[in-house]
Amino acid sequence: MKLKSKLVALGAAALLAFGAPATAQDWGPSEPLTILIGFGAGGSTDTMGRVLADQIAEQTGWNVVVENRPGGGGVAMFTSLSQMPVDNHTIGMGVGIPVLVQLVERGDQLPFDLDSFDYLGTIATAELALVASADAPFDDLEGMIAYAQEQGTLPVATMAPPQVLMMNAAQRESGAEFNLVTAEGGAEVIQLILGGQVLAGFASGEHFPYLESGDMKVIASANANRLSYAPDTPTFIESGVDAYVDAVFFLAMRDGTDPAAAAAIAAAIDAAVQSEAVAEIVRNAVQGPAVNLGPEGARMMMVNGLENAQRLFQN
Amino acid sequence: MVDLSVILAGFGDVFTPMTLLFILFGVVLGQFVGAVPGIGPVMAMAIAIPFTFGLDPLAAIAFLVGVNKGGLVGGAVPAILMNTPGTPDAAATALDGYPLARQGKPIKATKMALFSSVSGDTFSDIVLITVSAPLAILALKMGPVEIVALMIFAFSVISGLMGESLIKGVIAAALGLMFSFVGADPESFTPRLMFGYWDLYDGLALTSVAIGMLAISEILRRMTESFGQAGQGVLAPDNGNPEDRRVSWAEFWSCRFTLLRGATLGTILGALPGIGSTAAAFMSYATTKAASKDPDSFGRGNIQGIAATESANSAVVGANLIPLLTLGIPGSVTAALIISAFMIHGMQPGPLLFETQGRLVYGLFGAMIIANFLNLWVGQLGLRIWVKVVSAPESVIFSSALLLCFVGVAMATNGIFGIVIMLIFAALGILMHSFGYSMVIFIIAFFLGPQFEKSLAQALALLDGNLLRIYTSPVALALLVLSVISVFWFVSRRTNAKADTTNLGVPDGEVLDQKR
Repeated sequence: MKLKSKLVALGAAALLAFGAPATAQDWGPSEPLTILIGFGAGGSTDTMGRVLADQIAEQTGWNVVVENRPGGGGVAMFTSLSQMPVDNHTIGMGVGIPVLVQLVERGDQLPFDLDSFDYLGTIATAELALVASADAPFDDLEGMIAYAQEQGTLPVATMAPPQVLMMNAAQRESGAEFNLVTAEGGAEVIQLILGGQVLAGFASGEHFPYLESGDMKVIASANANRLSYAPDTPTFIESGVDAYVDAVFFLAMRDGTDPAAAAAIAAAIDAAVQSEAVAEIVRNAVQGPAVNLGPEGARMMMVNGLENAQRLFQN
Repeated sequence: MVDLSVILAGFGDVFTPMTLLFILFGVVLGQFVGAVPGIGPVMAMAIAIPFTFGLDPLAAIAFLVGVNKGGLVGGAVPAILMNTPGTPDAAATALDGYPLARQGKPIKATKMALFSSVSGDTFSDIVLITVSAPLAILALKMGPVEIVALMIFAFSVISGLMGESLIKGVIAAALGLMFSFVGADPESFTPRLMFGYWDLYDGLALTSVAIGMLAISEILRRMTESFGQAGQGVLAPDNGNPEDRRVSWAEFWSCRFTLLRGATLGTILGALPGIGSTAAAFMSYATTKAASKDPDSFGRGNIQGIAATESANSAVVGANLIPLLTLGIPGSVTAALIISAFMIHGMQPGPLLFETQGRLVYGLFGAMIIANFLNLWVGQLGLRIWVKVVSAPESVIFSSALLLCFVGVAMATNGIFGIVIMLIFAALGILMHSFGYSMVIFIIAFFLGPQFEKSLAQALALLDGNLLRIYTSPVALALLVLSVISVFWFVSRRTNAKADTTNLGVPDGEVLDQKR
């Protein structure tokens, strides 16, 4: 009996490896699915997660429950998820970068690593931009660094440690000095720029209305690739600063989850991410398209992201 | 400038039965969750947001604003009737509200709270509707350096409420600050005082701490006091005097300066992101007490005290929408939730909102005014019901309040962890009370600590690490001078008029008990 279930699991894994989610039809949840969201109620992760859950429920007829487990940018939720018994019904949703930063900085204190989870897919990538007021005396990152050298120092608002590290990399490579002010979220960065307290800052969509009104401009893309809405603006890397961050919203389950269950849930997520309702909420929440990299793509995103985070922190 | 026809169309949109119904529903729900200890408007809004996805945008946002407004009215009810404020901003209302309720005037006290709340709210709504754009530009000029100075000023004013012992007040504040340091530091996000519990990374949840200290500890303490004398109600019996059941026009009018001061303070602090309604309520209370000819009557059931706190904390709500609508910057947790509701409906608050969504914005303004009227009417009815509910035997009231606190905190903090924190702080609250330390001072420090620390770190970065360069900001300098003056003033008053006897949740009700 045990051997048989192992064989089935092996077969399912093989099917999964060949990209044929045939098993997806064979598995159905025996109790409600629970999506644990690593952030508080009302935020962008929460909103996207709840609409995704609605879509999954609508398309599959499954019962989907959403719970918030805020703390440490998702670290608290992934910590408790990694300690739960494998139940094939509990899914975690979080953002890559905060988890990766904690894994690099104090991985020895965390009860999980990247292999503690089976990845199901992604829902969106938040595009991170360095923005400045429209009347700032520079238009790109190179110009900004030159201006900082000329002025002696230049105040810049950041939201999280990876952005501080990116600015440190820019300082190190150019000798320019930046006054780094840590803001609580993108809205506060915008506030500091508009108030003239800082000259530039990082934002992930909060600056959109100001691009439209012509009060702000994009200085550089902080992602690996250029921004979808500003294809002419170079990235940090293209501007000679070898650093980037990518913030990807992803879903994962405990490792050792029944492959049939993981495949079925991943397929359900994929179908839901392609729906118009999810596309709309993602567009509204992160100003970007809904993108599912799939189970393997999500895992690779985390593995590459960890390497990138390690590189950022080594410097 | 928005066209007049757009403004009128916006106001007209409010008067669809659907929108009116949702505003009413929001106000009723808000008053209910505000009045039930343990659940608050923040949680109700957070839970409701995903459900508004299918609604018409105006109905959805008006509904959420209704919950928020109703919640502030409702929040005063348990603070006054049972001395168990569910949120820190209602803690100031309990200072004078609860003594009044014990004197057999619960309806009078809650009505005054309702009237003050609606007055303050309407004042700030009018400011929002008329002059939000220039105010928002002014608020932007208040950078981290000025905010730090403003918070120091707020602390200096609130220190006038330190209670009987200055040293005990300072110790309570220091303890509150210490607990506010738990979790990631605001600058480099290094975990502090977490002892391996990642649930603490974002700090101790305010809901757990506030409800544990203010509500649970109070209920437990009262249960020990009434041990063995079952069956009595929480409130003194109605003495039948109709004067004690209503707020006369003369009484309301005598509070006009207090209301205006509270509403102005609340509007100013609400327009500045991050300081919030608790500081507004306490600053308004402290300044009202300082300006009064009879400061000793505060904390013993002075109706001015209720007027001061409720007008201020409700004025913050309307004013919070000033930076939110014009700049897209949320000034509080509830404002952040309203932004996410806007975003769900595909709108981003910001400089173009009035142009692109003028009709919706003016619809929202209309809805806010309607919500204030509904708040008044629903409140008039609701207060009577709550006073009736609280006249049930203590055994029923306390057990159901405890149950609600547990359920509410479990929901707000997502599980058992938050309840454990709540119980730890309930125990700490009982200890602090027995030794005469003010829990309210503790909570204010705990609440404002993180914001102060963040602004201080930002200010230091902007000033190149040299605080002496604060002279580059005249506003900050002026606020610091004002703080020094106010501290000296309070200290000199203190020494002149012996000790301050405001019962800041410290030996509460004891003065009254002795009289009975």
